[in-house]
Amino acid sequence: MSDLFQALGSGLLVGLVYSLLGLCIVIVYKASEAFNFAVGEFMVTGSFLFYIIFFDLHFPFLLAFPLGLAAAAAAGALIETVTIRPLIGRSPIAMTIITLGLAFFIRACLQLIFGSHSYSFFLELPDISIDAGELLFLSDPLWAGILALLTFCLVMFFLFRTRWGLAVRATSENQAKAMAFGINAKMILLIVWAASSACIAVAGIMISNFGALSTMSSIVGLRAIPVVLIGGMDSIGGALAGGIIVGICESLVGAYIEPMGLTGSKEVAPYILLLAVVLIRPYGLFGTVRIERV
Amino acid sequence: MNRKLLVGLSLILSISLLALTPVSAKDIKVLSQFPMSGPVGALPEFGWGYIDGMNWVNGEGGGVNGKKITWFLEDFRYDPTVEVANFNKYCAELSRDEFLLATGYITGGLKPLADKVNKEEKIPWLDGSYSTEMFGPEGGPSKYPYYYSLGATYGDQLKILLKWIKENHKAKGKARVGMIYSPTAWGKDGLPEALAYAKKIGIDVVAQIEYPYSATDATNECMQLRKAKAQYVIYHGYSGASGCTAIFFKTAKKVLKDVQLMGTHYTTNRMSILVCQEAYNGYIGVATRPFLDAVPRSKSPMDNPMTKLAHEFAQKYRPEEYKRGVKDKDSIKDMFLYLEGLTYALIIQKVLTDADNSGDLSREGVKKALDNLVWDYKGMFGGKKFSYKSHTIPMMQIFKAEVKMVKMGETMVPTGSVNPITDWINSDETKW
Repeated sequence: MSDLFQALGSGLLVGLVYSLLGLCIVIVYKASEAFNFAVGEFMVTGSFLFYIIFFDLHFPFLLAFPLGLAAAAAAGALIETVTIRPLIGRSPIAMTIITLGLAFFIRACLQLIFGSHSYSFFLELPDISIDAGELLFLSDPLWAGILALLTFCLVMFFLFRTRWGLAVRATSENQAKAMAFGINAKMILLIVWAASSACIAVAGIMISNFGALSTMSSIVGLRAIPVVLIGGMDSIGGALAGGIIVGICESLVGAYIEPMGLTGSKEVAPYILLLAVVLIRPYGLFGTVRIERV
Repeated sequence: MNRKLLVGLSLILSISLLALTPVSAKDIKVLSQFPMSGPVGALPEFGWGYIDGMNWVNGEGGGVNGKKITWFLEDFRYDPTVEVANFNKYCAELSRDEFLLATGYITGGLKPLADKVNKEEKIPWLDGSYSTEMFGPEGGPSKYPYYYSLGATYGDQLKILLKWIKENHKAKGKARVGMIYSPTAWGKDGLPEALAYAKKIGIDVVAQIEYPYSATDATNECMQLRKAKAQYVIYHGYSGASGCTAIFFKTAKKVLKDVQLMGTHYTTNRMSILVCQEAYNGYIGVATRPFLDAVPRSKSPMDNPMTKLAHEFAQKYRPEEYKRGVKDKDSIKDMFLYLEGLTYALIIQKVLTDADNSGDLSREGVKKALDNLVWDYKGMFGGKKFSYKSHTIPMMQIFKAEVKMVKMGETMVPTGSVNPITDWINSDETKW
């Protein structure tokens, strides 16, 4: 039984970080109907910006963390201004394709600047490990889960309890109507991309703290795809659920299926689950069902 | 009279000119390919070591009995298709009489080129691959007569670690070993041989866990090892100090407190000290080269002549890259990479010279020189010589990492090195 709790707990903690990645895709999708395929590269960019402030410039963590997120947000805003804004009013597919190109471009830039080797990444956060005999939850994943959840709550607060959040939601419902009511859709899109980049950076910093930081870390961004497709492309709650489901799925398969000799199944399991979910509910577990007249 | 004189003079002049013109000596052409950039990592050090080595060979080194080597260097970006395409291009462009030797670095390129190299071109090929499939009992000289590896196979590396465990296991009962391997061709390479050997010498392999490069968490893997009561964990098949290696070592140090972490060649290095830091302390690993590149570099022991030579070369030809910090992408982050490029240049000169000395500077002559090679590799293996009869350089050494965190200004930084704990071991001469 302890094995089950261990697997569930570990999966939940990692899943919360995946949820954050999913959330960043969802809010961009809701605002512009574009799928951000460059999520992994945004994650690494944010992590490197934090790395420079904390490890190179030696700012204290409590200052470096918000500064790193602010830098990531600024980078996100800059990218939006240069690449996404010119496409406002065009097909969301164009924006989605641009994000694919962005992924390659950002990755190449990062390799050019930072090289491809790994950078050591140790955040000396207070040790909150839980070691109860056969159950062990290490400090780093616990911190990651806590910070991911806090960030998630912060984004929810911004979206549902602030005037800007209201404007974001209005724009995501209907961009044309929102603009008719005097909402600056361009500014909203800028805010969404900036907020999304900052949140992705939180996930990136936590994931880097599990091991090390390198441009190769962007591969983790691929986890966001099953998260949002399982949860539903336009559902914030779905991103949370999707992340947890993917995290727990990976963990359970790693704990129970792989030891039976099916090595490698942990990597594939979220995609098999995704396939099953999409076959039954094409819009994801919590996604809005769209009825289109043909 | 004048006409006769003119004809005579012309004849003398022509003969003199003919005598003075050297017999058109054929060029010696060599192709080398290293993974110097690309998605897996930017490792220009391979190329730097090779370029400096080949320039030295053609200059102070005296070439091949005074003849210069025309060398070509390609970056195949960890892509076997690029490696194959490059080789095909050079085969098409260069004459067989002149293109005498080729080198590569990954198993992925060896497999598709097996027929082309060994049956069609019949050109000696030196490679950085440690593939047991290609160079072990199932492959080797009988199957791939023109392939030569520059290191002991992964199978032998895993076996020597198991042998070390057997000889050094102090606790009661059979030693319990867990295997962690990457889901790659080289991660799975050598495992069947290692498992069979463990059974033979009475070691229990209590867990075999595939752990992916894209891992974000290693708690489950470590808990499985803890549950299996592994006393030793062999981490195999991960090149460089990738993020997943840091995740595994950081987690293992906390979850598997009394377990001896071990690993194969590509986990035994300087970058692991820098990336895994204290979690790497106490690690025991096997390597096919002298990994003597301490953190800080100035504390590197220089008792190995090849290590000393590599450091001298780097200081002389790449002073800036040698001094730069590890965070600078244009620095020599790990001297192993530079040394590796240099070793290629030195062995190329050695075998071409041997072939020339035997009067057969052809592909077959170079092959014979390789087959008959008995060399100490400029003292790289503590003065021990190896022969190429198995088409691998069968030398290995076991190292132990000693890492300490020290305060430097505001931050704690790792210092330490990976130090030998055994003499050089020749796998061809080992009684398994």
